[in-house]
Amino acid sequence: MKAVVIGAGLGGLLSAARLSKAGYQVEVFERLPITGGRFTNLNYKGFQLSSGAFHILPHGPSGPLAQLLREVGADVKIVRSEQTTMRVPLKKGDPDYGKGFKDVSFNDFSTLLSHKDRLKIAFLIASTRRNHPTGSTLQAWIRTQFKDEWLVKFADSFCGWSLSLKSDEVPVEEVFEIIENMYRFGGPGVPIGGCKGVIDALECVIATNGGKIHIESEVSKILVENGKAAGIIVGNEVYEANLILSNVGHAATACLCGEALSGERYSGYLRMLETLRPSAGIKICLAADEPLVGHSGVLLTPYAKRVNGIDEVTQVDPRLAPPGKHLTMSHQQVAPENVRNLEAEIELGLQDLKEIFPDKKYEVLLIQSYHDNWPVNRTASGTDPGNETPISELYVVGDGAKGRGGIEVEGVALGVAATMKKVLG
Amino acid sequence: MKINDNCVGCGQCASFCTKGAIEVKGKARATAACVECGICVIYCPVKAIEVSA
Repeated sequence: MKAVVIGAGLGGLLSAARLSKAGYQVEVFERLPITGGRFTNLNYKGFQLSSGAFHILPHGPSGPLAQLLREVGADVKIVRSEQTTMRVPLKKGDPDYGKGFKDVSFNDFSTLLSHKDRLKIAFLIASTRRNHPTGSTLQAWIRTQFKDEWLVKFADSFCGWSLSLKSDEVPVEEVFEIIENMYRFGGPGVPIGGCKGVIDALECVIATNGGKIHIESEVSKILVENGKAAGIIVGNEVYEANLILSNVGHAATACLCGEALSGERYSGYLRMLETLRPSAGIKICLAADEPLVGHSGVLLTPYAKRVNGIDEVTQVDPRLAPPGKHLTMSHQQVAPENVRNLEAEIELGLQDLKEIFPDKKYEVLLIQSYHDNWPVNRTASGTDPGNETPISELYVVGDGAKGRGGIEVEGVALGVAATMKKVLG
Repeated sequence: MKINDNCVGCGQCASFCTKGAIEVKGKARATAACVECGICVIYCPVKAIEVSA
């Protein structure tokens, strides 16, 4: 059996590794000269920056991605982060960090609430595990339960950091699925070697199993025969296949199918594709001689104007920066209406960093933004349309087809695992 | 070097530029140090870079 994978991002390489292990003859086609998509390292001034992701796996060594890596035999060491903290103003009610701040543990978020709200949270934590709330956004749900704005800020920083969305854009169902996954799999971790540590290990598996990865090879067409995927065209060559996995999102995959998707029976799918929206974000990469965050986990910043959270991956793997240096990266969600206004959004992010680290010395290495055709997620979390397409034996994997409750790359892994179940049984 | 509207500002070009000639802030911009070598073109994930002939 022959399988073709379009795109050597994380979803494509995970699929290729799994299929090659199952005995498929696998060929991966990547348009760029590098593999890994938005999940690999970019060497910049001696720092291992990333092409997208934050050198972090949201559920660490026991999450869906780590499990899939183990299943395919990819040799990656993932170190669980020691803690997640949140920076809050010293005095409750202060609007920002200007008059001082303190860091509290993520797990202690309810200690910042009134006694009455604390009791209510304890009750909801127990009751919502049996009956997840449905039918609204996270923010709307919070507002039906509480009057305290802290919870909205907390929700916005968490959703901004992990999904690049505001809490009023995320379906409450998706958040409760994420919370369930946090119980199941635990908190974040850092892969040794950063994102590229994972990509290198997957490529090693694919090569060992006889699979091939072609770089600088752009797929121009997906061939369909009688409603079934039959192969692809790259340059002037036709590559026949029994199975095609596309890692480029549903919309771009549909474009590659061309006229094969015209006709009344596909119009529902094509209309659905028009409703899909990517998520946008800005990453600011900082270099510092002394630690800025000071621990290996995430620092959420709910009282910043734009920055949602920050991580410092050199706390786990010092080799991601030159000797003696730290690599610290901030993320901020960008609202759809601000995507055309990125410079102003970046300025607000830079101001935030000055307020978050008022007496620290750091250098801004590189500012990276992601939106539209090279976004944070090709499909905003909570709206992923699944892995199947109307063409049989053609599946979509990656950040345009994440599994439910899967934050970023965990969602990619859940989507790949679900697809492999369908394909391999 | 011309950078078209496809550019999202991901900075991938800057990391492969051997002259340190690309600045990024929401969008990439070539500085005077650019020698039009064209290395960055193939690394751009959104086909945003056109090198003058």
